[in-house]
Amino acid sequence: MAPLGLDLPGAGAAFGGGAALRWAMAGALALSFGGAPLGSLLIARRMSLMGDALSHGILLGAAAAFLLAGRDPVALTLGALAAAFGVTALASLLARTRKLPEDAAFAMVYLPALAGAAALMSRREGPEALEALLFGAAGALDRGGLILAAAVASASLIGLALFIRGFVAESVDPGFTGSEGAGGRLHLLLMMLVALNLVAGFRAFGALMTVALMMIPAGAARFWARGYAGQAGAAIVISALASEAGLLLAARSGIEPGAVMTLCAAALFAASGLAGLNGGLIVTLAGRRRLAGRALVP
Amino acid sequence: MARIRLVDLSLGYAGEPVVRRLDGVFAAGQATAVVGPNGSGKSTLIKALAGLIAPMAGRVVIEGASRREVAYLAQGGGVDRDFPISVEDLVALGFERRLGLFGGVGPAERARLAAAIAAVGLTGLERRPIGALSGGQLQRALFARVMVQDAPVILLDEPFSGLDVRTTAALGEVVRGWAAEGRTVLVTLHDLALARRLCGQALVFARQVVAWGPCGEALTPAHIETARKLADAWPGLEAA
Repeated sequence: MAPLGLDLPGAGAAFGGGAALRWAMAGALALSFGGAPLGSLLIARRMSLMGDALSHGILLGAAAAFLLAGRDPVALTLGALAAAFGVTALASLLARTRKLPEDAAFAMVYLPALAGAAALMSRREGPEALEALLFGAAGALDRGGLILAAAVASASLIGLALFIRGFVAESVDPGFTGSEGAGGRLHLLLMMLVALNLVAGFRAFGALMTVALMMIPAGAARFWARGYAGQAGAAIVISALASEAGLLLAARSGIEPGAVMTLCAAALFAASGLAGLNGGLIVTLAGRRRLAGRALVP
Repeated sequence: MARIRLVDLSLGYAGEPVVRRLDGVFAAGQATAVVGPNGSGKSTLIKALAGLIAPMAGRVVIEGASRREVAYLAQGGGVDRDFPISVEDLVALGFERRLGLFGGVGPAERARLAAAIAAVGLTGLERRPIGALSGGQLQRALFARVMVQDAPVILLDEPFSGLDVRTTAALGEVVRGWAAEGRTVLVTLHDLALARRLCGQALVFARQVVAWGPCGEALTPAHIETARKLADAWPGLEAA
């Protein structure tokens, strides 16, 4: 029997063996630590769809790398990374002209990038290849991918630890950080960290599913904590639970892991909305009942 | 002490000038009320001094302090009240410049934090989310953040708008205290009586200087009327 008992029946179909499942579980855990706190920050800044836009934007670089170098993981990662930085920088530049709000600026850049990726891939490889980039390929996380995920998670946590005061200040009061002279640089840094996490996860779990694991747990965490630090911690736990449970279920069922992980995250979001201590449905209803009871007392 | 020099300063948006060819000096250690009708360019001027708007022409020279040693409080606070942050953490953001990347909030900072929160009358509300504060309480918290910044130059854009008399009086005392400490304070105001009470100097302004000097000389009915007429002469001033 394999360590941790992960030589599961069915794992061979979805992952090509238990070792691949263990790589995937370790990688997903790393991405939970790196991505979920960033997701919490994006939600708090009302930028939830920025991650989604970036996840589409990186596909142009991945598609170009695929056409140039085939399935070489290093080339795919570098291509996606270049596209992520390009999309972020171009959208930020557009937003700075003040002609467009930032979300609209991202739309102006990521949609053409996505269209370019679709055109490249469908001409040479057919639409299935693009789907693999969007939704991931089971068992694609090899040793190199795992090291990348761990490195990105470490970079994200270090970046957050160093710049969290600036990120929060810029989120709460952009004028304040502007007057301190750091606003634009902090914003760009945050988007770069988001981009790094998406690039680290997209080959194994797909660009869309990676952003789902960043954002849905962060949304669920808001039902468990009031402050950002508590929400970021809760988001890590929820993201780790969703991704590990999702991978195990995917290994047993043979369904694409990215999809199962996202559905697990959605289930945890629903459970949090129901039972969460910070404004969950049960707590809210109980509070209303107490209030109604008090009103009856003279 | 720091002073601010305006050198042939013109400001605007999208190539349209709002403020034309300002020259003058905000003296070190003085509180100056910037007074003018709506849309006269007061906020534009304050933003330029804070470094948020690049001049179309000319320059702003801050002598005796760096650009990062300027504290700025935006009109209406400019705060996202839905962000998950407590009063204490909001005020502690004022330490950002001083602590840098690797510094932490230690006992000395905690003592200053508590003193600032107490000075604005928010003791007991430290853990409250900012979204649960009234408008007056939030403005008190933002004043506490400015205190914590300990900046030699303080820029306040209509800091008393929408506040009740009691809160205005309490925060007005804070502004007087800053001036007494030798900080250079600029505050945009509509209430002329309040301007006279808080500030020794006044700049009457309507896209250009109407009067600039001690309150007694600058805040005359004739100057205020001139500013109003100048403002009425320009269409679309509300954006400024």
